[in-house]
Amino acid sequence: MPKKIVQLIFPQKLIKKPVIYTMALKCKVMPNVRRAKVTESVGEMVLELEGTRENLEKGVRFLTKQGIKVEPVVGDVIE
Amino acid sequence: MSFIKGLRCRECGREFPAKAIFVCEYCFGSLEVDYDYERIHGRLTRQLIESRPANIWRYRELLPIDGDPTVGFHTGMTPFYRADRLGHALGVKELYIKDDSVCHPTLSFKDRVVSVALSRAKELGFDTVSCASTGNLANSVSALAAHAGMKRVIFIPADLEMGKVIGSLIYAPRLVAVEGNYDEVNRLCAEVAARRKWAFVNINIRPYYAEGSKTYGFEIAEQMGWKTPRHIVVPAASGSLLVKIRKGFKELHKMGLIPQPETRFYAAQAQGCAPIVTAVQEGSDIIKPVKPKTIAKSLAIGNPADGYYAADAIRETNGWAAEASDEEIVDAMKLLAQTEGIFTETAGGVTVAVAKKLIEGKRIPRDESIVLCITGQGLKTQEAVADHIGKPIRIKPTLSSFEEHVKL
Repeated sequence: MPKKIVQLIFPQKLIKKPVIYTMALKCKVMPNVRRAKVTESVGEMVLELEGTRENLEKGVRFLTKQGIKVEPVVGDVIE
Repeated sequence: MSFIKGLRCRECGREFPAKAIFVCEYCFGSLEVDYDYERIHGRLTRQLIESRPANIWRYRELLPIDGDPTVGFHTGMTPFYRADRLGHALGVKELYIKDDSVCHPTLSFKDRVVSVALSRAKELGFDTVSCASTGNLANSVSALAAHAGMKRVIFIPADLEMGKVIGSLIYAPRLVAVEGNYDEVNRLCAEVAARRKWAFVNINIRPYYAEGSKTYGFEIAEQMGWKTPRHIVVPAASGSLLVKIRKGFKELHKMGLIPQPETRFYAAQAQGCAPIVTAVQEGSDIIKPVKPKTIAKSLAIGNPADGYYAADAIRETNGWAAEASDEEIVDAMKLLAQTEGIFTETAGGVTVAVAKKLIEGKRIPRDESIVLCITGQGLKTQEAVADHIGKPIRIKPTLSSFEEHVKL
């Protein structure tokens, strides 16, 4: 099954909400959290998502729509 | 002889062999090259370094290669000098410029990192190098890979102006114009990297590539007479240059080559893309990505990979970070050109503008040594200043016309 590594940045209003769990249920994507950090105003999480290509895209779309910034973990490429 | 111990995760500290990998398979943290410092200590002396040719490889024990270097024999040891006229304009006593606007062969500090990346890529058995870039990095990879006899594939957004492409196309890379925005080019490049056995200079060989930036710091210390400045202002895109200059200073000290560095680090970013400045000023541990909107294209990285580490280095050294508006950037480019005779690209304008701000705001004292990092050439971004530098005085080919119009 395809996998995707992403970094998520949560705004303050979403920190307390079970967004990852909801995405997993709704989009049939299996998340595996590898690293996370939460401060008063922002949350950061690095995780691996596993699912069909279509479901992975659905999952990322869902997270983005909630207001989470979804970034690939590849370093900077463009300059 | 190799002094590389391996790669180490910057987050969890796990160790990995020195191969073409860039993230920790456990925590997805970025990897960094670790050296056998005990073996380097005593072997690498000031005399040995000074006896070597004037290029980045004079510090080769502290660079990530196993054998002899193969790329970048004319890169590095760029001018470093006291900038009294600019210092006077900024109202400071001891100002220096490290000028990579004349770095060989493509006139930016990227030649340092790419030289190291390609030397390592060859050792790892790659014959093809690649990157996604719209500017300095594309130029540097194209040129140095051509000289190294390697195949080169560059990804760019399809709507990029022709003027920006010429500095790469002349070296005949396979130039792939992707019908999409920067983010989409980026994403595609990462996906290709997972399929092709190519050396992507800032993806799968990024740990080696990034080490090349240390040479900028090594040279500053050597050119100052084996010491470090009290303050250094560094332009920040990914934040890697700032982090690596600091690592370079620390390594020289560890090897007994310079006294304990007491340098404060300051990051300079453009107002339209300042995620590191925001994190430093808010005292936050987390870098919030932004959508870049600035004339300083070479600093336009909205989600800086080394942002956290740069902010950390700034905090640890009691430095600071500030941003400059587009107008301030252009004014600073003009100021640098008119006082020191250096035509820098927009990133250099950001550095000078931010330094001015930090000095005026008393973040940097006026009577201590300050280094400004100039990292690229103005001829590449002429459009940024074209409408702000006046016009020639047009006259008839007669002496009377000259006398009438030309007043000094």
